Amino acid sequence: MAREVSEICMDSVLAEMVASYCNRFYANKPDLAARRIEAIGYQVGHQLSERYTMERPRFSDHLEAIKFICKDFWSEIFKKQIDNLKTNHRGTFVLQDNKFRWLARMSVDPSADNGSNEDSSATVAESKAAQAMSMHLYFPCGIIRGALSNLGIPCAVSADMSNLPACSFVVRIKA
Amino acid sequence: MDPAKTPLGQMLLDEITPVVMVLSTPLVEEACFKNGFSFLQMLTPFCSFHNIDVPVRTASDQPYRLQKFKLRLFYASDVRKPDLEVAKEHLKQVITEAGEKELSELSLDAPEISHVLESSESGNTPSWLQFFNKELIRVVSFSDHEAFDHPVACLLAVSSKDEQPINRFVDLFNTNKLPSLLNDGVMDPKILKHYLLVHDNQDGPVDRATKILAEMRGTFGTSDCALLCMNSSSDSPVKHEDNPWASYNSNVSPGQDLGCFLNIDDVNEIKDLMQDLSSKHIIPSMEQKIRVLNQQVSATRKGFRNQIKNLWWRKGKEDGVDSINGPMYTFSSTESQIRVLGDYAFMLRDYELALSNYRLISTDYKLDKAWKRYAAVQEMMGLAYFMSDQSRKEAEYCMENAFNTYLKLGSSGQQNATRCGLWWVEMLKTRDQYKEAAPVYFRICGEDILHSAVMLEQASYCYLMSKPSMLRKFGFHLVLSGDRYNKCDQVKHAIRTYRSVLSVFKGTTWSYIKDHVHFHIGQWYASLGMCDVAVKHMLEILACGHQSKKTQELFLGDFLQIVQKTGRTFEVSKLQLPVINISSLKVIFEDHRTFGSLSAANTKEGLWHSLEEEMLPSFSAAKTNWLELQSKLISKNYRDSNVCVEGEAVKVNIEFSNPLQISIPVSGVTLICKHSPSTSEVTSGTKNDIDGKCEELTTSRDLSSDNSSFLVSEVDFLLGGGETTMVQLSVTPRDEGTLEILGVRWKLSGTIVGFHNFEFSHVKKNTAKGRRKGKRSPNENFKFLVTKSIPKLQGSIHPFPEKTYAGDLRHLVLELRNSSEIPVKNLKMKISHPRFLNIGSPENIKSEFPSCLMKIDSVPSGANANPSNMSDTVFLFPEGTSVQGVTPFSWPLWFRAAVPGDISLYISIYYEMGDISSVIRYRTLRLQYNLQVLPSLDVSFQISPSPLRLREFLVRMDVVNKTASESFQVNQLSSIGSDWEISLLQPPETIFPSLSLMAGQAISCFLTLKNCRRILTFEDTGSSISMPIRSDIKLVPQGSEDPVYNMSSEPLVNFHHYERQQQEFSHEPLGDLNTVDFVLISRPLQSDTNASFSDPPHVMSHHACHCSTASTGPISWLVDGPRTLHHDFSASFCEINLKMHLYNSSGATAFVRINTLDYTVTGGQLNPLSVVQSVTPSDNQAGWHDITPVNEVKVTSNVTGSQPGKSLSLGSVSPYIWSGSSSTNVHLEPMSSAQIPLQICVFSPGIYDLSNYVLHWNLLPEDRGGQDETRQPSGKCLGYTYYLTVLQST
Amino acid sequence: MIVCVAVVGHQNNPLYIQSFTEADDALKLHHIVHCSLDVVDERVNNPKKSGPMLNETFLGLLYPTDNYKVYGYLTNTKVKFILVTTDLDVRDADVRNFFRKFHTAYVDAVSNPFHVPGKKITSRIFAERVSTIVKSFGLNSAG
Repeated sequence: MAREVSEICMDSVLAEMVASYCNRFYANKPDLAARRIEAIGYQVGHQLSERYTMERPRFSDHLEAIKFICKDFWSEIFKKQIDNLKTNHRGTFVLQDNKFRWLARMSVDPSADNGSNEDSSATVAESKAAQAMSMHLYFPCGIIRGALSNLGIPCAVSADMSNLPACSFVVRIKA
Repeated sequence: MDPAKTPLGQMLLDEITPVVMVLSTPLVEEACFKNGFSFLQMLTPFCSFHNIDVPVRTASDQPYRLQKFKLRLFYASDVRKPDLEVAKEHLKQVITEAGEKELSELSLDAPEISHVLESSESGNTPSWLQFFNKELIRVVSFSDHEAFDHPVACLLAVSSKDEQPINRFVDLFNTNKLPSLLNDGVMDPKILKHYLLVHDNQDGPVDRATKILAEMRGTFGTSDCALLCMNSSSDSPVKHEDNPWASYNSNVSPGQDLGCFLNIDDVNEIKDLMQDLSSKHIIPSMEQKIRVLNQQVSATRKGFRNQIKNLWWRKGKEDGVDSINGPMYTFSSTESQIRVLGDYAFMLRDYELALSNYRLISTDYKLDKAWKRYAAVQEMMGLAYFMSDQSRKEAEYCMENAFNTYLKLGSSGQQNATRCGLWWVEMLKTRDQYKEAAPVYFRICGEDILHSAVMLEQASYCYLMSKPSMLRKFGFHLVLSGDRYNKCDQVKHAIRTYRSVLSVFKGTTWSYIKDHVHFHIGQWYASLGMCDVAVKHMLEILACGHQSKKTQELFLGDFLQIVQKTGRTFEVSKLQLPVINISSLKVIFEDHRTFGSLSAANTKEGLWHSLEEEMLPSFSAAKTNWLELQSKLISKNYRDSNVCVEGEAVKVNIEFSNPLQISIPVSGVTLICKHSPSTSEVTSGTKNDIDGKCEELTTSRDLSSDNSSFLVSEVDFLLGGGETTMVQLSVTPRDEGTLEILGVRWKLSGTIVGFHNFEFSHVKKNTAKGRRKGKRSPNENFKFLVTKSIPKLQGSIHPFPEKTYAGDLRHLVLELRNSSEIPVKNLKMKISHPRFLNIGSPENIKSEFPSCLMKIDSVPSGANANPSNMSDTVFLFPEGTSVQGVTPFSWPLWFRAAVPGDISLYISIYYEMGDISSVIRYRTLRLQYNLQVLPSLDVSFQISPSPLRLREFLVRMDVVNKTASESFQVNQLSSIGSDWEISLLQPPETIFPSLSLMAGQAISCFLTLKNCRRILTFEDTGSSISMPIRSDIKLVPQGSEDPVYNMSSEPLVNFHHYERQQQEFSHEPLGDLNTVDFVLISRPLQSDTNASFSDPPHVMSHHACHCSTASTGPISWLVDGPRTLHHDFSASFCEINLKMHLYNSSGATAFVRINTLDYTVTGGQLNPLSVVQSVTPSDNQAGWHDITPVNEVKVTSNVTGSQPGKSLSLGSVSPYIWSGSSSTNVHLEPMSSAQIPLQICVFSPGIYDLSNYVLHWNLLPEDRGGQDETRQPSGKCLGYTYYLTVLQST
Repeated sequence: MIVCVAVVGHQNNPLYIQSFTEADDALKLHHIVHCSLDVVDERVNNPKKSGPMLNETFLGLLYPTDNYKVYGYLTNTKVKFILVTTDLDVRDADVRNFFRKFHTAYVDAVSNPFHVPGKKITSRIFAERVSTIVKSFGLNSAG
């Protein structure tokens, strides 16, 4: 039953997907691209949750479901668990992965984007780099959202990658 | 809460009360009948007391007061077990009546499930159910194993008119008439008797009665006799406000009013009588009896000794009879006494006492296996528990126990079980245990289908009432009960239940069940003759694609049948069969845009737009919606609605699809239209609601039959299972005004009319038409302003080939017709692909083809052919061409299939109206032609300079026949370019031995191309471009009669022009003098293989343009000198002079430097060799080219540093030296040549390769630098091999 | 034998109902399945037995109709599986086993890219798998 997938192959597929949505289909419409990628993630999460919640008792409350995401679900996908889970007990959870796999091989140095590395354009480059990175995070966000909503928890998921390679996902459960 | 207040409590207080047996003489009845009721009925209303307030003292010594009390009166004849069959009939009666009542509100819609939920039980359970239950319980009254139905007293009534009333009293109560209960010893025959003398005041004064009363008192004792005087109001009938009898007598005719002869005194007298009877006699006597029995029971059964004795005794009679209801118990037996005691206590509400006794007796009965009695006692225990409001569990346990025991008895226990169950259910209900109640109902229903139907229905309501309500079970049980109702043809009930089922399934996807329900409701309504409603339900299930084929047929069949039964044609909005794909809806109309074909109409507006832009009048050049711009000239409302022309059809495409697997015939599909003569009420026309449209469509229908303001087309078709068809409907306005398309209507299999209004589908509609129209409110798309008829051109191109070979050259004719009388003028035309289609000149309209292309030897008719005027611009037909009337206007066109593939050509023709009066000033005719071009000959050329002569080139032509079957004859090759002259190397026979090119065959032939231009100077180069010289060679053998085609004839020139444009390479500077164009003329041999073609092509021209000769760079050179010479080396070494001819073929000035190297610098000879071999295959097409020097030169030229010539003469080369300057610089003007003297010295005889020199050249950057970037500004060429043989002269 | 198996979506919409009888009792089975949803809701909303059984996907015997036994299974994603059988003595283990296999089949079915979430399952492969599972019901542990 244990299926194996070449991890790098996964990464490449992901990267290629992001690339083709950002640069080909919806070039210069990043929000649209983001939405599409997120939607794909949603589908994937939807199906994965169906698969990974087999053989386990139903979750009695939201926290259990979130924990499931942090533990089993995460380790099914990333071979590791979420490192840190925070909540404000008002429907917001913060899942932090100290070494998020899909960003592990990623490194954007601003100067790489444009030949000139003057300080003036550095900030611009920074933001551009950040955006390029964030594009890769819509997919996992979508996965989380899809999984949770399939478990009957409608929510909004956003990602924060202020300190790489750590990456934290913020889950806001719609009351 | 007080159990007595609960529904069950009420029920018990009504049902389990003392029974009074009534015996009366006929005369008494007679007296009563004057008032319209029997004696018993007269008394009944006064038998239930709400605060009788009687002190009661039963066995337990604390007294209590009885408030609510009720007597049940029965005639002696009725005091017996009711006959089952009769009872059943009665119940059936009840149900049917209820059904009739229900029918009234059947026609309104099924209730929203939400309402059902919030309404209380009484809200949604039909009232008649309670009544039915009561009746059902009554079925088992007067059973002999229960005492509470046994009469506690007997009321004997004798009229004062009877003679010797005393005797009457006596024989009223003589045993043979008495009910069996009293006789067969089930109950004590000695019961309390009350003697009543009834006196009718209308028979005379009361004194006789009083006399008799006295006499009675004498005989029967004073207390037990009473006198009742009635019918006192002799004169005027009394009206009783709130008539006390009304509620009790169901079957009373409204006319007579009950008790009309009883005045108020009489009524009071009756009241007093009953009050007195119950309080003074019945209750005390019951108390009395209770006390007595209690003493006896305690004497026999209480106390330890008695218990033991009892047990022993039971054991003893173990082997006694045990039938189903155990041994027979006489009233005197202890068991019966206990039972009586219990029941009496119960009736007097001393539940403690009752309970204790019941408990006592139940064990006995159990031991006796008297199951029926046991069950009955258990039942009573349960009720007692309930009424005394103590341990619920006990109560329910008892009820269940009783119920099960009854069921065990089988049929004999069934009725009792039912009653018990009903009470049990009530008990559960009062405690809100609806969920538990439902199954009980379910168990109650025995084999009697009708009853079980009712029970199931009640069960379903229980599920509904349970918290949280279980809607699905509710629905399921309703369905079950509905089926049962239907089985005992209580159709109305069936419908009622099923309709409430609908509320459950509304909006769910359980279509399987939903369909079933709808279907049956429909059928039942139909059976009731309410076909309209039936149809309404049937419509729900028409589009049942998910059902099996059989079911679909069934549904459709029944539906049509019902519809026919109604006899009228239904008009159903949004009939689901067939399904209309609204998104496919497309309106095609012609305002000033007219279309030659449907395909033309379907092509993107934008495409036509770009095509017509420069043709249309100036203001319409703006990119905005130019229809509205045009309508600026005219009235306001023309702007926002479409314009169509009177007499020209507006077409609508709609897609119908059939969801079923069975085919459905659809007939009379028409558009629903509305025409209003005035253009003013455009806006009012749009907003009319649905029913408004219904009448609208009916009118439009019969209107369309006679000649009205518009005409609609009608389409019939048969949709096979799962099919989808696109239907084109059309409406043709006949008058000016406003035409509005409201929707589409059709007739399903000739019976039911469905219609669909377009208005409701704005959004989809908009997207569908968004392309064709600009921004415009969608419903406007269906509204047209009809303008008066204006001319409309029909155009056609013939004979237009659908399919042909690339290069096919044809002569076509464009034919324009104008049916109307008004002429049209200012015709313009624009063609999308000038490369394929060219506009000819009028003179060659009748010149026949292809001979018009032949060269007339006298004068080259290149004059008229001037490509410049044939640009892609709009073609204006000559002034004053106006099309009118029957005579078609025709114009020649040249056609050439330029490239293989599927091409659609668009032609738009603009024309203006003869008269300015109309709204539309101009129109455009849009033609579209699709054409498939197959690949035919593939011609490619390679040009390379000839090493032998300067400014002369070797041309290699490769022709491949790409077709599958065709074989072509290659007629002629022409070179078009500045001063090029082409000539054959071999005679054509050797090239084409078979004179033709078979399918798939490839040939190559070599030609020489000579630039016959004298060395030009700049000023007149320009002219040479504008007037290109052509040279033609026939590729057919000499003397064959084939003529030479005139390259400068009109079509060829024009097409060549476009080919040039097409094939232009980006890096080629325009007018580069070193390029040459070739045109190959070929002809298919007339073979019969090409049946697929309407008419085979005659002439085919293949154009290869911009074949550059400057493959070796701009500089070409030639070393000229002796090849062999004799010299006497003994005398001296030999000096040889050579000449090098240089030619600058570029348009720019070039500096050339020749460096001569010495033989020693020939290192690494091997890799050039390898290079040669590695390179040669790379550009090898036919695999046989390496014999020709051309290629070698090519190789050497573009592979720097490789000199194959040298490589083979490697060892044999003997040294020589370049004498004279080792480097020479030359400055070459464009298109000019120069000569440089060279000299070498050899010292011994031998063969010398004089190829080791290098030319460096670079061009001056010019003003035309822009295009030159791609082309290298400078270069370096190695020398050609030049073998020189020097011999020793003798 | 197993009479019918059904998959019901989280909005109680039927996703797949397959009967395995020759008789034309589809309607009845639909009703049975539909009604069993009430019981499922009941079970989930007020679980009587707690402890280990709490929130288990396997809901056990929903309700015995006159001649059927209806078993239920509720996935984490609120998808219900209903099993209707005519067997009188059914081993719980068998049913659990059945549902586990069925669940895997279902998961694969919804992973099919051509399956629209929330729509009926039309995959032929799924149907085949289900029928094999149904055939194998109770056999493995019968011996």
